[in-house]
Order: sequence, then structure tokens, then C-alpha cells
Amino acid sequence: MIHSYLYLSIILFCLGIVGVISRRNVFTVFMSIELMLNAANLAFVAFARVHESMDGHVLAMMVMAVAAAEAALALAVVILLHKHKSKLDTNVFSLLKG
Amino acid sequence: MFADGLFLGFAVLAVLGAAGLVVFRHPMNGAMSFVVTLISLAGLYALLSAKLIFALQLIVYAGAIMSLIVFIIMFLNIQPSDLPKEETKLVYILGGLAVVLPIGLFLAKIVKTLPLSSTAILGNDFGGVKQVGLLLFKDWLVPFEIVSILLLISLIGAVVLAGKKEAVK
Repeated sequence: MIHSYLYLSIILFCLGIVGVISRRNVFTVFMSIELMLNAANLAFVAFARVHESMDGHVLAMMVMAVAAAEAALALAVVILLHKHKSKLDTNVFSLLKG
Repeated sequence: MFADGLFLGFAVLAVLGAAGLVVFRHPMNGAMSFVVTLISLAGLYALLSAKLIFALQLIVYAGAIMSLIVFIIMFLNIQPSDLPKEETKLVYILGGLAVVLPIGLFLAKIVKTLPLSSTAILGNDFGGVKQVGLLLFKDWLVPFEIVSILLLISLIGAVVLAGKKEAVK
């Protein structure tokens, strides 16, 4: 049944939010964001199966492309921040704080 | 039924991998458990008869993106002393769960109102490369081009960020 896929998507998305708001390691926060993108992908593909139209598949491919671009840029930023501060703590990276 | 058993196995593996990502202290352990989540999600896509997305999930996500992340984690050579001290991590995780739980229950309530529909595996004319490709290059051409511009911008951004400081000035 399609409901179980959507429940699973909700669970994964909530776990991703928990990872973003409760952890301080940069890599864990970053991978939690990827987890949320994947949960959204699962919902897209599940709804595509319900309606038997493949627009959801195309949207899932777009989300994957955005995730790849985000991974490249975010990891470059993490390397630069680690070079400057030699820390991986998100509390240390508060350069834009007013 | 066989497909139901497969769904149950993949779903349990996905949730366990995601929980491990949130709980583990070292990012390498988290990345490994996240790979488990990604591979079981690929299995779920196959169960939803999304053949192209199944292959792309394995190649792009579990292959390319995760190996990039693991490569960077190894490149930075993280020692346990470099990691942020998170003594109150479990409290934060439980608090986060308490915050997120109402949202999840609300969404689950919305899902419950949807009509039931079968997820039996469809045949040859759904989700293959040809069908999705035709749709992508006919109806979704403009978003496809915008995504290509986004990838170009991120390429330039990565080069500028990783380049030498003199080159930036």
C-alpha cells in the first residue's frame, strides 16, 4: 500500500530535522540535509506510482542534481572553514553573527 | 506477499540507518550508516517500479555523492579530539524528537486521508529510461536547462572557493 511509503518518508524527514537541529558536527548536519532531500524524493516517487505518471521521477532527478551541486559547494566551504579554524563545530562557524 | 516482506526489510534498514546517522559521534560512522539508508531507498524505488531512479540512486547518491563526502572526511583526517564535545547530545536529540513529533503526526494524519491505491510492480512502459527521458526532454526541458545552469554555477563556485587566494583577488 502507498501509505506505508509515505509514512516512511515522514519518518525519514523528521529524523533529518532532528539531525539538523540537535547535532553540532558539520558533516552530520550536512548528511541530515541529504536525508531530508531523500525523504522528499521517496514521496515524489511514491506519488508518481499512485498517479502512474512519471513527472515525479523527473522531479526526483532534479532533486538529485541539486543535491550533487550542494554537496560540491558545501564540502568546499567545510574544507575552507576547517583550514581556518581547524574545528568541525557549527558553534565555531558563527562568522556572520551580528 | 514477497514485495511486502521486501518493503518491510528495506524500510527497517532505512530507518535504522537514518537513526544511526543522527546518533553516531564520528562522521565516518554516520556516513557509513547513511549509505545503508541510501541503498535501501534504492530498493524501495525499485519496488515502486521507478527503474531509472533506482539506478540513479545507486550511481549518483550512494556512488558519487557519498564517496565525495567520505573522501572529504578522510581528507580532513578527523581525530576523535577534533570532534565537537556534545555531552548533552542525547538530551538535544530527545528534545528535537519532541519538537518534530507533532509535525510528523500531523503529516501522518494528512496521509491517512488519502485514498488507498495499489503499489503492484508495473510493466515495461513505466519508469524506464526511454519514458522518463522523453518526458524530461519534452515537458521538463526548461527546468532541465535551469538545472544545468545551476551545476555550472556550482562548478565555478567550487573552483573559486578551492583556488589560491591570489587568484581570487
